[in-house]
Amino acid sequence: MKKRVTLTFPTNIVQMPITYRLAKDFNVAANIIRAQVAPNQVGKLVVELLGDIDEVDAAIEWMRLQEIHVSLASGEINIDEDICVDCGLCTGVCPTQALTLDPETFRLQFRRSRCIVCEQCIPTCPVGAISTNL
Amino acid sequence: MRTIAEINEKISRRQAVAWTVEELKARVKESGVAKAFKQVDVICTGTFEPMESSGAIINLGHTDPPIKIRQCWLDGIPAYAGFGAVDLYLGATAMADYSSSDVLDGNLRQGTERERGGAHVIEDLIAGKPVQLRAIGQMTDCYPRASFENTITKESINQFYLFNPRNLYQNFIVGVNGGDRPLFTYLGPLQPRLANAVYSNPGAISPLLNDPDLQLIGIGTKVFLGGGIGYVAWEGTQHFPLQKRLPNRTPIGPAATVALIADAKQMNPYWVRGCYLHNYGPSLMLGVGVPLPVLQEEVVHHCAIQDKEIVAPVMDFSIPRRVRPTFGLVTYEQLKSGRITIEGKSVRVAPLASIYLSRKVAEELKQWIIAGKFTITEPVATIPQDRSFIAQDRRGSQFTLE
Repeated sequence: MKKRVTLTFPTNIVQMPITYRLAKDFNVAANIIRAQVAPNQVGKLVVELLGDIDEVDAAIEWMRLQEIHVSLASGEINIDEDICVDCGLCTGVCPTQALTLDPETFRLQFRRSRCIVCEQCIPTCPVGAISTNL
Repeated sequence: MRTIAEINEKISRRQAVAWTVEELKARVKESGVAKAFKQVDVICTGTFEPMESSGAIINLGHTDPPIKIRQCWLDGIPAYAGFGAVDLYLGATAMADYSSSDVLDGNLRQGTERERGGAHVIEDLIAGKPVQLRAIGQMTDCYPRASFENTITKESINQFYLFNPRNLYQNFIVGVNGGDRPLFTYLGPLQPRLANAVYSNPGAISPLLNDPDLQLIGIGTKVFLGGGIGYVAWEGTQHFPLQKRLPNRTPIGPAATVALIADAKQMNPYWVRGCYLHNYGPSLMLGVGVPLPVLQEEVVHHCAIQDKEIVAPVMDFSIPRRVRPTFGLVTYEQLKSGRITIEGKSVRVAPLASIYLSRKVAEELKQWIIAGKFTITEPVATIPQDRSFIAQDRRGSQFTLE
């Protein structure tokens, strides 16, 4: 199964090789979507955990014991369809082509699976239709 | 040959044949110009794009005692008041004036954000929302009042109409950034080293590209504006019909423009949207539809134009001068494919006009005509076709940059 989580590390845990431990101890592949990590600062990691359901749960349990805050409500881009005017300006700054215009209808399409939550689309949107819950 | 009177007669009997310009293009491809000409009476074009040279005229109605307004703010956004006592002009790109002492004394509505401009206030008024008014007057014997504050809605004011000095640009440019830092422009963010490109005209469906020499559109032409009925009032500012043109008569860059006027009280906020271009400023996204009466076969011929036959220049915004370097011309077919090639590099392209809503404007106008709700007009005067594009240089300048 696949689970997207946001990990917040206290400053003392930033040194720990988390993704290595997830792979080695739990056989969980951690695909890093976003990361903000620096020495002696609270770190933040948005990862997609891929593995057996029991092992993913065990991995989350273990991380929580390490005082890593695990949030299942991971950062996601939301597009308010009532506000969006389908201009497509956001498609030009989206680095992963998660945001595209349908070549026939020219309506905005959002493929969440491709989104890395870089948030460049948020200030670009002229009508403020895009937001994140992170 | 058809006449406007004949077409209006058919519209009133609900027998007029109206097609969107895309339907026309498809029919011409299928069966040719002559056959399409026999079938169709009106061709409906539309666009939905930011048109920043727009604004609203408002007459508030007189207060007791009366006031001659000299300075005025609507939701903290300054409106021009340098004419009749309670006449105001609220420009789409007007922004809250942060340097004024008004901010410090707390008179501005809380939550006025930099992203909010005159266009957003116009949208709110059209949507029927209340707007805060604050005015300072010049005390005279006729108008003794010094200041006035109130909450207004579109129902509590006399006139409320859009008067847009420049709309419907006939073609525009494509923006890129050849420099090494991000730029925030009226076309949206342009990323460095040619990482993206933005175009803002919807191409072959755009109204003025289907009547390239303005033979049909003139002063008095009735149009769809923001969901209400409006008219072409004049040539637009920066109207430049003498732009270089292709043999099909479409210009290779920004050319003709028109000034539009329409009652905002009839409008629908779905078609009038305040917008904000990051680190540039507010603007107004507007849906405008123009009907083209099929008087002669030539009309069909012009409207049959395809995206691959229309071009726009790619301009480098990293040089902030009046004349910017260009990377040459690209077709709207290339632009709409989502990628263009500049200096051998594939660059992703995004539109700023909503092609989806542009089509919807044309469709809405078509439905109005089919239902007999919208008749067409004969222009009362033509738009000049000989205007040059004068630049503002300091007198005495010895050399030109062009």
